[in-house]
Amino acid sequence: MITVVAGLEVALTMSVAAADLCAIDALDRNICLPEPAERVVSLSPGATELLFSAGAGAKLVAASAWSDYPSQASELPRVGDSNRLDLEAILSLAPDLVVAWVDGNPRSQLDKLSALGLPVYWLAPRDFSDIARAVENLGQLTGTPERAAGRVEQFRNGLASLARQYRGARPVRVFFQIWDQPLMTINRDELISKTIELCGGRNVFGHLPRLVPRVSIEAVLEANPEVIVTAGEAGGGSRQWLDDWKQFPQLTAVQAGNLFLEPPDLLARATLRTLEGAQHLCQTLERARNAL
Amino acid sequence: MTVLHTRQLVIDIPARASGWPLNLDIRPGQVWGVLGPNGAGKTTLLHSLAGLREPRSGRVLLDDVALSGMPRRRIAQQLGLVFQDRQDSFPATVLETALIGRHPWLSLWQNELPQDLQMARQALVALDIAHLEDRSVSTLSGGERQRVSVATLMTQDPSVWLLDEPTNHLDLHHQERVLALLRRQADAGKSVFMCLHDLNLAARWCSHVLLLYPEGEACWGPADTMLVVPALERLYRQPLISTQVAGRKLFVPVAGGIE
Amino acid sequence: MRSEGMGRPLVLLALLCLAAVLASVSVGSSTVSVGSLVSVLTGNGSELERTLILELRLPRTLSALATGGLLAVAGALMQVLLRNPLADPYVLGLSGGAAAGALLAMLAGLASVLVSGAAFAGAMVATLLVFGLAHGRGSWTASRLLLTGVVMAAGWGALITLLLALTPTHKLPGMLYWLMGDIAYAGSPWPALAVLVLALLLVQPLGRSLNVLARGSLQAAALGVNVRPLEWAIYLLASLITATAVTTAGSIGFVGLIVPHMLRFVVGNDQRLLLPASALAGGTLLVLADALARTVIAPEQLPVGVITALIGVPVFLYLLNRRGA
Repeated sequence: MITVVAGLEVALTMSVAAADLCAIDALDRNICLPEPAERVVSLSPGATELLFSAGAGAKLVAASAWSDYPSQASELPRVGDSNRLDLEAILSLAPDLVVAWVDGNPRSQLDKLSALGLPVYWLAPRDFSDIARAVENLGQLTGTPERAAGRVEQFRNGLASLARQYRGARPVRVFFQIWDQPLMTINRDELISKTIELCGGRNVFGHLPRLVPRVSIEAVLEANPEVIVTAGEAGGGSRQWLDDWKQFPQLTAVQAGNLFLEPPDLLARATLRTLEGAQHLCQTLERARNAL
Repeated sequence: MTVLHTRQLVIDIPARASGWPLNLDIRPGQVWGVLGPNGAGKTTLLHSLAGLREPRSGRVLLDDVALSGMPRRRIAQQLGLVFQDRQDSFPATVLETALIGRHPWLSLWQNELPQDLQMARQALVALDIAHLEDRSVSTLSGGERQRVSVATLMTQDPSVWLLDEPTNHLDLHHQERVLALLRRQADAGKSVFMCLHDLNLAARWCSHVLLLYPEGEACWGPADTMLVVPALERLYRQPLISTQVAGRKLFVPVAGGIE
Repeated sequence: MRSEGMGRPLVLLALLCLAAVLASVSVGSSTVSVGSLVSVLTGNGSELERTLILELRLPRTLSALATGGLLAVAGALMQVLLRNPLADPYVLGLSGGAAAGALLAMLAGLASVLVSGAAFAGAMVATLLVFGLAHGRGSWTASRLLLTGVVMAAGWGALITLLLALTPTHKLPGMLYWLMGDIAYAGSPWPALAVLVLALLLVQPLGRSLNVLARGSLQAAALGVNVRPLEWAIYLLASLITATAVTTAGSIGFVGLIVPHMLRFVVGNDQRLLLPASALAGGTLLVLADALARTVIAPEQLPVGVITALIGVPVFLYLLNRRGA
């Protein structure tokens, strides 16, 4: 039965591919290609990762700086930093698809590429379903929809099982620290906050209006979180951020020893690896829950 | 009372190849006028006498002590200077500005005492600016500012008074008043040494005159021996006639030039 | 110049300063009532209130006080040194050197103590570079010092831009906040306060000489001031003061330029009054600005430099207008 459905799905997507390859991007534009893209340029580390997940890794001809996952991505030619792109390098590679990131890439530079006739597909994954859809669409545009669909299914199943597991768990109050100087956290619209919710946590600063608000130590003391988590920065130093909280022993998180350092790469980018990050974070919050 | 000497003093004027050594003796009671065309080095001489500018050679002596070896504060107690240009980037009242003259007489931790204030106020009265005491200097006219500068020097009360064009910007009445004040100060034992542009003021108020020629040559002596038409004509390259009015010698320029 | 009546403005400013400090420790994410403030200060009060006031707000407020005071005093000194009322502590490139040092340390991922150390080192390098270059072969003037410093500042600016361009995106916010200046970074307030008090004690006997120097180096020399040593002493002292401020709280703008200038409208240009008054007024301004930065959109925080400008600009314009009228 399952095989039949899967086969049908493949047949369907293939028939669409033959007619035309279209996908709607984060700017609500319908991007259509005459045939699957063969030369793809990725303009952010997250886009690179999503392209690999969609099965288009081999079609990548270049990527922006800091594209380091999966490891093959590190060997790709570079076309500048995400916020300062080398348009000449991009053009000279004659790509047939450019994948951009709303939060990182400069619109004005990318509009120039669009004006020159290059198809630009914009990504802005804000939640899990955005990530899943991005992988599906990229698979579609690069001619590997079935591979993408497989990865997405794994992703959705993994998330669903986490949701089931922690639906009834006792809520814990979480302060997620993005940076220490200035002290920054995230509000409920951030993907990490959604991950916290998934694991049965409550982001103590979820209600703030800005996506990445800067808060005071005072505010943290008053919110009195039960857990303090940081993903820190790659290369260390952030263990110190957590240790700094120990000077406030009245914090429940400090009393319970609930100061946790999460692997930096898993939560930082909105990619399929957020599932892994979520599994890790859920375990962490479960440990915290038990320590209370 | 202090005597200011120069010994073989050659002032440093960069564009001038050689200088004329000056051996001046400026004594209490004397009023010196320095005359010379623009660029002859009057201001440079004044600054050199005050030790503010290194001479090319020779020495300046205050009571036989070389100026170059004296601390600035001790120099300022014996010798003061009214500059031609003033900087006032910052707000200051007239009284504050005059009171600055007491600086060389006060030690680091000392504040101005009532008698210092009194000296400053007396100077303001002498210069006819007492009514401007609380005005900001920047709001004053050029002539009023000039009088504030002289009042500052008077408050400083040194033995040797050097003044660069003290009558600049002054109206006729205040020219008279300031020069009479300088004369009285000399009579009371100060020595006054000033650059002037007006031959007739020099003739009227100076006991001694120094002529500075543009090539660096110089001659000096009692006023009546120096202020003679041929020397002055050569000094300014300007034909002059002299005449007497009410017993005073007057110089008047006439048309024509001198090669 | 007159010593009479000099105490009154200082007493007034000191009272204002004290009021600002008290206001600052009572406000934050949550406001503490006068009653609980008193009970905390007398050793009682709830544990949270004690931590908030004694461990967070008081050190931060004192750091703001010290930093504001340091910047205003350094600004007043630089203005006299350069005979230019528009000079500020940063005009000779000192903050640029400090910023370059701090940013390099952040780029290398060093701990915050080392970032502060690097900022101080950068400030001193900038100071000595300008000192050496302006010194040249003997002849120099205030305008040569100013030109050397301004050109060096431009050079530092370019270096900072280069560093920012080379920095990975995720490290940028920390760097930008440092460049804007922020009391939140301050550690213990005591070193900065000690430097402020020492600096004031050091310059107090020089006050009258500074008054004379403000009228030009020739006039000052004619009135018995040893101009060259005095100028270098002020330069080094102002640099050290600024470096301390920048190390404590990043390069907070505006205070060093506006406070001495503003006070001159009110108390005149007698440095013996202006310098301590600047310390008090600069400290008060920064304490108030920081209190507002912490509370306007609490629990979120604004950079304090925004607030100093928002308070300072209208006050300055008011004083300028009143004086013109």
